[in-house]
Amino acid sequence: MSVVVIGLSHRTSPVELRERFAFPDTHIPEVLQTLRNSGLADEAVILSTCNRVELYTSTKLESAQAFQELKKFLAQAHDYPGTLGDELYTLDEPQSVKHLFKVACGLDSMVLGETEILGQLKKAYDLALQSGHTGARLNKAFQRAFNVAKHIRTETNIQRGSISVASVAVELAEKIFSTLSGHEVMVIGAGDTSEKTARALLSRGAKGIVVANRSYDKAEALAKNLGGRAVNFEDWMREFETIDIAISSTSAPNHILDVPRLTPLMKRRHRRPLLLIDIAVPRDIDPAVNKLDNVYLYNVDDLQSIADDYLQQRKEEIAQCEAIIEERVRGLLGHSGHPGHGHSPQPAINNA
Amino acid sequence: MIYSVFLWRKGFRRDDRVNYLLLLAAFVLHTLAMFQRGFSINRCPVNNLFEATMFFSWAATLAFLIVGAVRRFRFLGAFASPVLFAVGVFALMPPLDPPHGPKPEFSGGLASLHAAMILLAYGAFGIGAAAAGMFLTQQHNLKFNKLRAVLSVLPPIQRLDIVATRVVLIGFVLLTIGLAAGGQLPRPEGVTYWKDAKVLWSAVLWVLYAGLLFSRMKFDFAGRRFALGTIGVFSFVLLTFWVTNLLSPLHHP
Repeated sequence: MSVVVIGLSHRTSPVELRERFAFPDTHIPEVLQTLRNSGLADEAVILSTCNRVELYTSTKLESAQAFQELKKFLAQAHDYPGTLGDELYTLDEPQSVKHLFKVACGLDSMVLGETEILGQLKKAYDLALQSGHTGARLNKAFQRAFNVAKHIRTETNIQRGSISVASVAVELAEKIFSTLSGHEVMVIGAGDTSEKTARALLSRGAKGIVVANRSYDKAEALAKNLGGRAVNFEDWMREFETIDIAISSTSAPNHILDVPRLTPLMKRRHRRPLLLIDIAVPRDIDPAVNKLDNVYLYNVDDLQSIADDYLQQRKEEIAQCEAIIEERVRGLLGHSGHPGHGHSPQPAINNA
Repeated sequence: MIYSVFLWRKGFRRDDRVNYLLLLAAFVLHTLAMFQRGFSINRCPVNNLFEATMFFSWAATLAFLIVGAVRRFRFLGAFASPVLFAVGVFALMPPLDPPHGPKPEFSGGLASLHAAMILLAYGAFGIGAAAAGMFLTQQHNLKFNKLRAVLSVLPPIQRLDIVATRVVLIGFVLLTIGLAAGGQLPRPEGVTYWKDAKVLWSAVLWVLYAGLLFSRMKFDFAGRRFALGTIGVFSFVLLTFWVTNLLSPLHHP
C-alpha cells in the first residue's frame, strides 16, 4: 500500500479549471466516503484551495491503475465531460510524500514560503480525520509534513520577510513605532494599494483610519469600509497633528507635501516620529522631507525593492529546504527516496 | 568574547543563549572575586581605578543580564562581551591597582555609597549611549539603507529613544545621589573641594546631563539630537574620566 497524489494546481491549470474542480468544505466528507466505498482508496484527504485541488490517498492498487481510476473519479465527481491531460499531475511514492512536504512548507505555493497553505492543509487533514477517512499511513505522512513545515520555518529563512508592498510597509512601521496600537493612520487619496496597506496596518493594531480624498463620497465609502472617518481633502494637513502614519496616493501632478509645509507641522507634533508612505506616481511627497528629523519617507519603489529582495532571499533558501525535505522523506519511507524510484516493494510507511 | 565573535559571524538571529550563560557564569565568578577582595580589605572594593573599572564592568554585566532575560534583547550580549573584555584587559594595567597603603583612599559607608552610586551612574550612562548608538544606526538605515533596516534585529527606534532617555534619567539620579554623598565626606586638610579637578569635572558632567534631560523635556530634543547628545557626553566621560582621577588629589592622593 502506498501514498499517491492526484491533483491540479496553479502551476498546471488556469483558474477556470481549478474552480471547476474545487470541492466545497461541506461536500468533502461525503466525497471521501464515496471514494472509500468505491474501493479505490483505504484512506483519503482532499485539499481544495483557490490555488490547488489535490487528492491524497493510500491505496492497495498498482499506481498506474490507481491514477486511472482516480482521474475518472475526479471527473465524475464534478460532471466534467472533457479530457484531462497535463493539467492533472499524478505522483507515487516517494514523490507523493515529498510533494506533500513541499506543499506544507509553502514551497509549491504561488507566493513562495507563504504560511496560509499550512493552515489550509491542517484543516483539510482535520476534516478527513474527524470523518474517519484517515488511517495509519496518511496520519503519519501528514503529521510528519506539519513537523517538517515547523522545522523549516524555524531553521531556514524561507518564510522570512514580507513580499508584498503592504506588508513591507507594516514591517517598516514596526521598526519605527514600539507598537502600532495608539497610532492613527491617514489615507490621502483612495487607491487599491493604499487601502491594502491601511488594512494591513489596522490588522497589526493601528488605532484608526482617517481618509481624505478629493471626492468626499469616495472618502466616506472607504472610511466606512475600513471602520475609520472621512475628512475633506482641504483639511488633511490639519489632521497631521494627531496621525503618525500617512499613506498618500493622489493623482496630483505636483508634490502635495514638502519641507516648508512639513516643518511647522513637525513642530506642532512635538517631533514625534512620522511615517510617510508615498504610493503615488508622480510622487505626492517631496523626497527632501526624508532629511527632516523623525520623518521617514518611503515611495512605492522603496517598498517594492524590499519585497523583491526578500523574494530573492527566499529563492536562495529553496535548496536548503529541499535538502531537509529529502532527508525527512528518506526518514519516513525508509529507503533512498530518490526521485527516480517508482514505489517501494516494501510497505512504504510503517503502520507503527 | 570568542563566542561573541562567533555570533557576529553566525548572525544575531540565532539563539545566543550560550553567550548569555557564559556571561552569567563570568558574572558569578566576578561577583565572588569582588566579595573576596571586599572581605580582604573590609570595605566595598571601589577604592582605586582598578576596582572602579571592575565595578563598572560588573554593573554593566548585571544590566545586560537583566535586559537579556528578555529573549529578543539577548543579542546585546554579542555587543557587550567584547566591550567588557576590553575593559577587563584595560583594568589589568599595573598603575591602576597600586597596593593599598596603611590608609585606604576612601573609607566608611558614605564613601562606599558615593563611589558605588557614581559608578552605577556611569554604567547607566554607558547603556544609554549604547541605546543611542543603536538608535542612530537604525535611524540611518531606515532613511538610507531600507532593506538593512527591516532585516536588522534592533528594536524599534521609538523604543530605543525611550530606553536611552529613561536610562540616562536613572543615571542622572544616581549621579546626583553619589555627588551629594561625596559632598558629605570629611574634607582632608588643605584640600578645597572646588579646586579639585575631579569635583569640577563631576559638576560639569552633572550640568551636561541636566541640560540634556532638560532640553529633551522642554524643547522636544528627542530622537537624533538626544542620541547624539547622549553619545557625546558619554564620550566626554570616557575620554576624561581617568585623567581627572589622576589629577585629583582627593581621589588619587
